[in-house]
Amino acid sequence: MNAIAPLTTPAVSVDIQGVNVSYGDNHVLKNVDLAIKSGEFFAFLGPSGCGKTTLLRLIAGFNQADSGSVLIGGKDISGLPPWKRDVGMVFQSYALWPHMTVARNVAFGLEERGVARDEVRRRVALALDLVGLGHLAERRPSQLSGGQQQRVAVARTVAIEPKVLLLDEPLSNLDAKMRAQVRRELRELQQRLGLTTIFVTHDQEEANTICDRIAVMNDGVIQQVGTPMELYERPANLFVANFLGTANIMAGKIVGTGRDRRFEIEGGMQIHVAETSGVPDRAKLVFRPQHARLSPAGGPSQASFSLTCDIIGREFLGSSIRYFARAGATEVAVDMPFQSSRQLFEPGTAAMLNLDYSSVLWLAE
Amino acid sequence: MTAIPIAPLPRARRLSATPGQIALALAIAAFLLLFLGLPVGTVLYVGFTEKGTGSFTLVNFYDFVRTELFMRSLWNSFYVSAMSVVWASVFALPLAYLTTRFVFRGAALVQTLGFLPLIMPPFVGAVAMQLFFGRNGSINLLLDDWCGLKIGFMEGLNGVIFVQSVHYFPFILINLSAALRNIDRAMEEAAQNLGSSGFRLFRRIVFPLALPGYLAGASLVFVKVFDDLATPLLLNVKDMLAPQAYLRVTSIGIADPMGYVISVVLIVASVTAMWLSARALKGRDYATTQRGGGGLARRIMTPWEAVLGYGVVILILALVLAPHLALLLLSFATIWSFSPLPDAFTLAHYARVFGESSLYIKNTLIYATLAGGIDIVLGVAIAYLVLRTKLVGREWLDWAASAALAIPGVVLGIGYLRAFYGVTLPDGTPLASLWITIVLALAIRRLPYALRACSAALQQISVSLEEAAENLGATKARTVRRIVVPLMAGGILAGFVTSFSTAAVELSATLMLVQSNSDAPLAYGLYVFMQSAAGRGPGAALGVVAVLLVALCTVLSHLIIERSQKAKGMGH
Amino acid sequence: MTAYRLALAFGLALTTSIAHAQAPAGKVTVVTSFSKDVTDPFKKAFEKAVPGVTLEVQNRNTNAGVKYLEETKANNQVDLFWASAPDAFEVLKGKKLLAAYKPKATGIPDKIGSYPINDPAGFYSGFAASGYGIMWNDRYAKAKKLPEPKDWQDLAGPAFYDHVSIASPARSGTTHLTVETILQGEGWEKGWRTLKAMAGNFNAITDRSFGVPEAVNSGQVGVGIVIDFFAFSAQASGFPVKFVYPTVTTVVPANVGIVTNAPNKAAAEAFVEFLLSLAGQEVLLEPGIRRLPVNPAVYAKAGADYPNPFTDPRFQKMIGFDVDKSEARTGVVDTLFDQLISFQLDALKGVTKVLHEVDAALAKKPNPQAKALADEVRALIAAMPVSEAQGSSPELRGAFTGAKEKGARQAEIESQWASFARDSYAKAKAKADEALKAAR
Repeated sequence: MNAIAPLTTPAVSVDIQGVNVSYGDNHVLKNVDLAIKSGEFFAFLGPSGCGKTTLLRLIAGFNQADSGSVLIGGKDISGLPPWKRDVGMVFQSYALWPHMTVARNVAFGLEERGVARDEVRRRVALALDLVGLGHLAERRPSQLSGGQQQRVAVARTVAIEPKVLLLDEPLSNLDAKMRAQVRRELRELQQRLGLTTIFVTHDQEEANTICDRIAVMNDGVIQQVGTPMELYERPANLFVANFLGTANIMAGKIVGTGRDRRFEIEGGMQIHVAETSGVPDRAKLVFRPQHARLSPAGGPSQASFSLTCDIIGREFLGSSIRYFARAGATEVAVDMPFQSSRQLFEPGTAAMLNLDYSSVLWLAE
Repeated sequence: MTAIPIAPLPRARRLSATPGQIALALAIAAFLLLFLGLPVGTVLYVGFTEKGTGSFTLVNFYDFVRTELFMRSLWNSFYVSAMSVVWASVFALPLAYLTTRFVFRGAALVQTLGFLPLIMPPFVGAVAMQLFFGRNGSINLLLDDWCGLKIGFMEGLNGVIFVQSVHYFPFILINLSAALRNIDRAMEEAAQNLGSSGFRLFRRIVFPLALPGYLAGASLVFVKVFDDLATPLLLNVKDMLAPQAYLRVTSIGIADPMGYVISVVLIVASVTAMWLSARALKGRDYATTQRGGGGLARRIMTPWEAVLGYGVVILILALVLAPHLALLLLSFATIWSFSPLPDAFTLAHYARVFGESSLYIKNTLIYATLAGGIDIVLGVAIAYLVLRTKLVGREWLDWAASAALAIPGVVLGIGYLRAFYGVTLPDGTPLASLWITIVLALAIRRLPYALRACSAALQQISVSLEEAAENLGATKARTVRRIVVPLMAGGILAGFVTSFSTAAVELSATLMLVQSNSDAPLAYGLYVFMQSAAGRGPGAALGVVAVLLVALCTVLSHLIIERSQKAKGMGH
Repeated sequence: MTAYRLALAFGLALTTSIAHAQAPAGKVTVVTSFSKDVTDPFKKAFEKAVPGVTLEVQNRNTNAGVKYLEETKANNQVDLFWASAPDAFEVLKGKKLLAAYKPKATGIPDKIGSYPINDPAGFYSGFAASGYGIMWNDRYAKAKKLPEPKDWQDLAGPAFYDHVSIASPARSGTTHLTVETILQGEGWEKGWRTLKAMAGNFNAITDRSFGVPEAVNSGQVGVGIVIDFFAFSAQASGFPVKFVYPTVTTVVPANVGIVTNAPNKAAAEAFVEFLLSLAGQEVLLEPGIRRLPVNPAVYAKAGADYPNPFTDPRFQKMIGFDVDKSEARTGVVDTLFDQLISFQLDALKGVTKVLHEVDAALAKKPNPQAKALADEVRALIAAMPVSEAQGSSPELRGAFTGAKEKGARQAEIESQWASFARDSYAKAKAKADEALKAAR
């Protein structure tokens, strides 16, 4: 651990305050506010075009904001050019320079900082050892595998001891097996260095597995910030619910008032929702596949409420079976633990869909 | 998949320019203004003045449109340029395709030989070509003997088209070959996988992908042919625009603005052509940033294909190199007149030029090297400003530099005399009498070539490579020095070679500016020899020396490119 | 070598004779249209004769040379202008770019043929003479069975159709003089008729003087209208070419003049004196140069077959040449030639070809109707848009010399002449076709 000490710098916070970015009529980031704590492994998660990469490049200094500011360690860096920000970025394509060896790539940032030659050599070796590539120092980038290239890109970035580490979809160019391994390595490295790290991804699994907190973005707006579990359990809106994990969303409308207030699901079935239940007037019923249970049609209700449904398909997932069923006008997924191949619901038959008030969410439209 | 969806290209994201970039842009603008705008302007403004009063008028352009000869010339110039592009493509396509697409023994040799036609020394090249293809050249004399027919290779507009397409087809060859090499192997394999093969594969996948390269070359050919005056004049074709401009500008005793009016028309037409080709290319920039795979899958030809392939290549090379062969023969010939081959051979011409040529060679090397050097510095700078910054008006640098392509050398030469002869150094020598003026004129004339090559090279570098450097603490200037320039090295060298080799045989501007024999380059020496009957042999010998010299430098730089590419692991 | 000893002797004489003035030294710069074959022997001989002076040769064609002097006059670095065409010197003189100098050399008569050797005003001096004539490639002539031409009119004959080449008079001072010589010798109307009849047989009109001998030397064209030394030096180099002086021609001197504000005036004068000295004159006899010396004494050193304009009766018959007249209408004549001939060559050749066929048919079987039509065709071809008087009128001159006063623009006039020629040739072509039908 001592060997790594020279590469660690005190962690700092990153604050983004009221940032707006637009290209012509295209409003890419809208009033973005974020507070990333020091030492945090933070993810920007969202679909293509949500603005997450723009936000990352804004922190690195490659974009200019129309308004708002970026603070690193409490200092406003909005006016600084990229080369004065001390923000290390690992590019999606790695951006390794083909005309330099691995060692020269890693040495680059140190040389630009005017670090003495001996010190450069020492730190390059250190950084390469950190990612386990010390033996490939004299290779050219084109002679490395994808995973190796990715690690060189990381080594090159951490070698300059940045205040913040930015990772732009660093795993997207790797195969599935490699991805799982590298993401564990990244997490481990971040833990060791204690570096504030921002990770841009469109893959919720990546974000969930390695990040402390996630900002879910859509359409240039931060939808919700929280730990992976918070986001999963208590999505703030339909977008977050749908983007993180599988969510069944049933549309419908409120009918009646007072004690007779009911939620009528598209297709006709109704659920009692007293005014005291806190269910808003315009909302959708949301639940996760594992939070519902199927029971044979015509049997007794096993939960707060039950809906009739038709089984239309199933997938065997090992420990569980995912059923696809149609309830009213909505197609829903339901996970049932797999016990025996003899206790299955057959496609084409009817069944009961049982849900508890405690495990469903009512999300405003 | 990736999350860069907002702007079509990442490079478009740079919003502002650094003070350094602004200073650089201003410096380049000043250079272009001083050495291109000012001299040319002092000459061309005559086209906009009224006879007698000297006040501004457009009546001369009205005269231009109304004059049948000029409109005919305009149309002929368009026709000849377009047809030259067609024929140059016919020559270039098989050479480029076969040498990049197939495992082709001698591909490097073909590429090098294919470059040679571009370096045809003035005057003597035309004489050599006449001796081979002329109405009483070797081929026609033999044809007349055997079958009693003659082919008018060198007659009229068709003659111009023939000579121009042979002369300029290397532009298409070079650009197309580069583009073909950069196409990812997977593109072609995907098409093959979907059932496409043979010519359809070429027509539907390979050629469209190489289209940017092809268009870049084709537009150069078009503009060069449109603006070239030497070839039509040597074939005695006068009803084309460039020769009309030249004849009028240089005839003594005639103070007619039409020559300058035509020059303006030439420049406008050329810039328009370049602009159109740039527009046609917009959004078709298929440069593959991922340079893995190493280009097109090289197929092995079947024996039958090989025979056909080599046959076609040899035939084309024989045709386009015939002028050089004729030049070589001429340089060894005693008398060659109205006969298929010279009467006898001698080494005397080489002996005659041996003593003087060392001075010419030295001057040529200095001038062409300096001009090429200036060109690539400017080329890299302009390409960078245009492609990597959002400076207002940066395209104008590009257009201005490209406009140099269209300015007749003699207009530039006169402009330099007019603009700089009055400027004296402390000791009283005029600025225009220093040999550096020749270098500047050459650099301005050849800048468009280097600029094209540099732009193409920069376009192929992914912006993230530069951003990575900035992210690690390198300023823009440092990034250019340590990342951009090394990665562009191949393109820069290619630009240098093109500028250098064409500058080495340039005459029209030089002729006006050479002040003394001790400052004269090879092309001038050639011109002096070619003014007399006895000078024909020595002139040819000097021409051979020029071609060899340029070819040697070209091969040398190709070797350097290859070695550096290999060292970088970017080669294939 | 005699020439060497003479040069040496002269050199001594020269240095002593101008010792009272400033001794010439340093670099003397000459702008010349002469080729290396001419300038190299002169440079060698001159530098030997006047030690301490280096001759710096700037080779430019005549037009470019004039343009160059004009553009650089503000800060002139050139001492001498040295070229053939007297009209170029007239232009320079008109623009005050030449300085007057009276050579001291003796033994040079006032006139060669009927042409004054030196500029009467003393701005330039003739140092060699040249005559215009017809040059042809012997091998070509044998292969195509061409008769030997003797005079301008011969070139208009059907045998020479598509075999003749000439340089554009607007581009070549020497051709301009040839055209002017024909116009002065035969008169405006008849001269143009001859020129156009000849032009119908042209294969090409080149844009530089040397383009013509070059094409004849290599056998691309059979016959060329050139200045004599092109042919002589080609013969000296071994090319199978012949040359003849036609009856209407003139010998005109090649000249040298000192440029206004010459930086090295003393050396410039020394060079002029050297050119006119016996030693300088003898250099002209070298096989690569072959020009006619202006000092009659030098011909004693030349071979017997060397043309001598001072004794040869042919040259005495040669017409006089009015330089002022030529100068007055330079632009008009050149532009007429270009608009009526150069740029309409295809049309003109088309008519001429048919006309030759009509003549051939008439020779076999006379036909008065066809004959009359053919004469009409000839008249249509010969028709001129302007008369001789108009050609020299100040209005037209003004249009071509960029006169300060407002007036007709050159482009307008050119356009009129071009349509005149186009219409005439189109009518002529229709009539010629008719004649051919009638004659057959």
